[in-house]
This record gives sequence, C-alpha cells and structure tokens, in this order.
Amino acid sequence: MESNDLKVMFYLAYKNLTKSKITFMVIVAVMAMSFLSITFFASIIDGLGYEFEEGMIKGQTGHLMIEPHEDELYITDSGDLVKDIRRIPGVVGVARRLDASAVARYETIEIGNPVLFIEPENEKDVSDYWRSVIAGEYLSKKDTNEMLMGANLVKSYAAEGDTQKRFDVDVGDKVTLSFSNGFVKEYRIKGIYKTGSRFVDDKMMINFDQYQLIFNFTDDIASNILVSLPQRGVEDSYAEKIIDLGVSKQINRWQTKMGAVNQFVGSLQITNQITGTIGLLTAFATIYIIIFINVTNKRKQIGILKAVGIKKQIILGSYVIQSLAYGITGVIIGNIIMKLLLFLLSVHPLSMPIGPVVPILTMERLVTTSFILIFASIVAGFFPSRKAADENILDAIFGG
Amino acid sequence: MERTIIKTKNLERVYTTGAVKTYALRDISIEIKEGEFVAIMGKSGSGKSTLLHQLGLLDKPTKGSITIGGNDVINISEKERTRFRLNELGYVFQSYNLIPELTAIENVYITAMARDLKREEYERLAEEMLAAVGLEDRMHHYPSELSGGQQQRVSIARALVNKPKILFADEPTANLDSASSEDVINLFRKFNKEIGQTIVMVTHEKDEGEKADRIIWVKDGLLDMEKLKSI
Ligand SMILES: Nc1ncnc2c1ncn2[C@@H]1O[C@H](COP(=O)(O)OP(=O)(O)OP(=O)(O)O)[C@@H](O)[C@H]1O
Ligand SMILES: [Mg+2]
Repeated sequence: MESNDLKVMFYLAYKNLTKSKITFMVIVAVMAMSFLSITFFASIIDGLGYEFEEGMIKGQTGHLMIEPHEDELYITDSGDLVKDIRRIPGVVGVARRLDASAVARYETIEIGNPVLFIEPENEKDVSDYWRSVIAGEYLSKKDTNEMLMGANLVKSYAAEGDTQKRFDVDVGDKVTLSFSNGFVKEYRIKGIYKTGSRFVDDKMMINFDQYQLIFNFTDDIASNILVSLPQRGVEDSYAEKIIDLGVSKQINRWQTKMGAVNQFVGSLQITNQITGTIGLLTAFATIYIIIFINVTNKRKQIGILKAVGIKKQIILGSYVIQSLAYGITGVIIGNIIMKLLLFLLSVHPLSMPIGPVVPILTMERLVTTSFILIFASIVAGFFPSRKAADENILDAIFGG
Repeated sequence: MERTIIKTKNLERVYTTGAVKTYALRDISIEIKEGEFVAIMGKSGSGKSTLLHQLGLLDKPTKGSITIGGNDVINISEKERTRFRLNELGYVFQSYNLIPELTAIENVYITAMARDLKREEYERLAEEMLAAVGLEDRMHHYPSELSGGQQQRVSIARALVNKPKILFADEPTANLDSASSEDVINLFRKFNKEIGQTIVMVTHEKDEGEKADRIIWVKDGLLDMEKLKSI
C-alpha cells in the first residue's frame, strides 16, 4: 500500500459520503439511536440501583456502621468514640443511635414498631431524614416530648387501596408509646418524614437522651455509630484508621449491611448485563444490515472502479473508511445526546416510587458500547465490500 | 512497418452453467495493429462483447493466448492485470458507467489520480480531455445532471485521460440518438487520426463499422470467414 493509494482511498470515501448525505444521515441516526438505546436504559437501571443503595446508606447504615461485638448489647463509652472518630481527617459526620421497639397507640389503633433514638444535629451529617420532613418540623436537641413519624405509619400518606394498619394522625397529635420495660409516655408528633424508601419510612424517632430516661441507663451507650465519608469507595481506608484508634468493635461497611437490598441491586445489575448484551447484539445486527445493503447497492460502482484499474485494496479501504465514518459519527452523536440527557436528568431527575432517580452511565459501559458499535460498523463495511471487490468485474458491472 | 499491438491465438471462452456449456468464443485468432481503428461486428449473441472483454482484460479466456504490445497478459497476476488496465487500456461502455458520486471532471481524473500524478497535473489533463470532447462547460456537473450523449463523452474523456495504448468500446452509441452517436464516432475518428489512438469498437451499426479502418466479423464465437473474405 503506497501513500498515493491511501489518498485515492480517502478521496473515494469522502466523495461517497458527501454525495449521499441522506444515506449518511440515516445510517448515523441508526448508529446514534442504537447507542442511546443501549446506554440510556442501562444508565437508568444503574441509577436505580445506586438510588437504592444511597437510600440505605442515607437511611440505615451510613458509609461505615460501628456495632458492638456479637456477645455485647451496646457500645460503651460511645461519646468518646464519636469524638475520636470525628477527629480523623476527612470524616464528614458521626452520629450515635439507639434501637428499641414499642407499642404505639393512637385512639383505638395499636402498632408494635421500631423506635430510633437519634442525636438530631449529628444525625444530619449521616442521614437524610432532616431533609425528608414533609409535614411539621425535624427534631431539635431540646425536644423531650416530641417524635418524628415515618410516612408509612400515617394513613393520609398511604397509597390508595392500601389496607395496612396505620394511624390517622397529623402533626401535633399525641401518640402513646409503651416500652418493653413497662415505661409509658406520650409523644407529640413534631414532624412526618418520607424518604421514599420502604425500608426506613416506618420508624418513630425520638431524642437520644430519652433512652436513658426510659431504660434507666447511666452509661454512655449506643446501639451503633454511623460514620459518613466524603464518598463511596473509601470505606476500607477509613475503617483502618478507626481500627488504628484502638477500636475493637465491629466496623461494617455499608455493603455488608445491605442484605436484601444488596441482592436486589445485584439482580438489577445482572438483568442490566443481559439486556445490555442483547441490545449490543441487536445494534450490531442492525448496523451490519444497513451498511451491508448500502455496500451491496454500490456493487456496480465497485466493478467500474476495478475495470478502470483501481486496486482492490483501495476500493475495499474506501468502504471501510466510509463505515468507520458512520460508526464514529454515530457514536459521537450518541454520546453527545446521551450527555445532554444525563445532564437534563441530573437537573430534573426521574421521579420514581423509590425517590428521584438520576441515570448513571459508567465509563466502562460508555467505552464498551462505543467500541462495539464502531467495531460493528467496520465489520459491516469490510465483509460485503470485500465480497464485492473480489467479484468478477463483469458480474459486478452487468449484474451477473 | 506497422507494429502489432494486440495478438490473440485460438481464443476460447466457455461459460459453464451447471451441466450446460455455452461457447461464447470458440477459436479466435486476430491481430490488431498500432494506430488501427477496428470495428467488431456480428449478430447478437455472436460473441462480440465476450471478445472485447478478453482483449480488455476484463475477463479471462478458457483457452488461448493474448499478447498486448508483446506482453503476455493472461498468465500474469490479477494485480498486474489491474495495473495494466490502469496504465495501458481505456474503456467506453454502452451504458456509460460513470461513478454517480463523482462530477464529470472527477470521473475523468480519478484514474490519473490513482497513477500518482500531482493534483495540478491530473486536473489539467482532465480539463484538456473534457475540452477535447466539448464539455468544458459541464466539468463540475454530476452524471445525473448530464444527457446521455454528454455522459458518453465524459466516459470517452475518462478512457483517454491516461493516454492508453488501446481504447475499447462496446456499442458506445447504442443508447444515444443519431446526433449524439455521430458525435461519439467522430470523436473516435478524431482521436484515431490526431494522436494515432488504437481503437477497438463493437457495433451493430453498419455505417459506424464503415467509418473504421477494418471490420472483424464474428459469428457463433468464430471469425466469420465469408464476410471477411468478401471485403
Ligand atoms: N456470463 C455468461 N454466462 C453464460 N453465458 C454467457 C455469459 N455471457 C455471455 N454468454 C453467452 O455467450 C454468447 C456471446 O455473448 P456476447 O455477450 O459476447 O454476445 P454479443 O455478440 O455481444 O451480443 P449482443 O450483440 O447482443 O451484445 C451468448 O450466447 C451469451 O448468451
Ligand atoms: Mg454485446
């Protein structure tokens, strides 16, 4: 292959591409749509999975969750521990919690339900409950007779036709809680929260200090301590730093606390991989077919070029370049549209029952999809044009 | 003193379709001299096109030999045949066969470009050729914007741009009206006279054949000896 051959090759490709603008646009549009159909759906599923996990992190587990050893009920000296952890550079927030359960009664309805004792200010750093108050207000440190109630316990927030037992209450109403040790106290509903996650919207929250009062504890105990980190993926290095403080408790990363959610998100990802693969195959086939038809229509042109003495490799090369141009342009346009969509949806997230979902497109998916579509276009250009270029000249020209 | 440019010996071209064998050419031995304008004539199906395709290296005979300018052109590689077509041969087809994606001038210079000429050079050559066929004002039109006669003249310019040893034409006027047909034949005559262009042309038209220096009559894949003698 001489440099002049390359010149003729590019020239022929260029002329073919620019003369058949409609063909070019149609093929590029198909490529771009294939790209979008694969990446967009996948990114929504990924966004959904992320949102589920985020719901768990922001509601249940934090990035790290420090818990007592199995044979212990509580973390002791929890206040000092919180102070120490907070001193680790980079830690975003640390909050203690205590778990209990109680039977709640309002008018004639009684429901046995978990009660979460929180430090309202610290809790703001590790969870999103304070942002999720949809009626009334969030707890403050001074509140001793107030509680937050999850929307799932409140009748007016239930979905239509839902028959689960709920309280017909509103902000300001008083609910009586009876604890396992016989302690009974009335709490006024200060706010109602709704995160959108089924797993956490069924709690009642009371100030951390109330636990001591109810259960008559004097020790500085906690059921667990949540640690919020700057981002996901750095859990291990922070866990080590906490161990370095001499902490001998269980330090769990959020992933290990997910349980069912983990399995669910895992299933989503597998589904995503399957549909993604099918999508890629379909796109591959579509692209192959349209480029195949396009090249087959150029059979006569290929014959003429051969007849007048243009080398087979030049002709073949010019068709591969054309296909490559379809592939690259299609993928670039697909990428641009996808970026725009992602941007729009990050500003106006899709509202789904579990909460707002922002599609997530991983670099890996972007690269593989782009690569496979471009590869498909090369293959689709190469084989039919090689077949045409190998054909007998007279058959190609006169349609033998 | 005239040199032989094409010489064939016992050319045979058999098409095999399943069990059926069609002898398009049975046994053709001819010689064509440099600078000759030769017409190939004969009935439909007699093998004229097949003969022209063998001479023009667009197809390969099943038997026999062809030499062009003394070179064996049968037992050489496909690559060499391609190079031979590019540098030494020119073609005019009945249905023009221009590349629709290229303008008139681009159709003409694409082969010159493939010969590694400089841009100014191949553009100049193509302009000269188009001027010589009377299309200086249609150079940047696409084939779809030209009449049949104009397209055929573009294809003549394309065939001659590389100054080929031989110009082959298969019924170049069959799709044209009588005025355009006359233009084409007159152009052939002109190039034959002025630059001594060797031309081998298949035609059905008696008067076109008569404008050539000589007629090679073909019948059933053989030379038509009776007609050849009667001349
Ligand atoms: N590809 C092919 N396969 C089988 N038979 C063929 C093929 N091409 C030509 N033939 C046969 O070879 C014979 C000669 O054909 P050719 O095209 O050379 O005739 P021709 O003299 O050019 O006729 P026309 O004046 O109609 O163009 C015919 O009988 C034709 O049917
Ligand atoms: Mg014919």
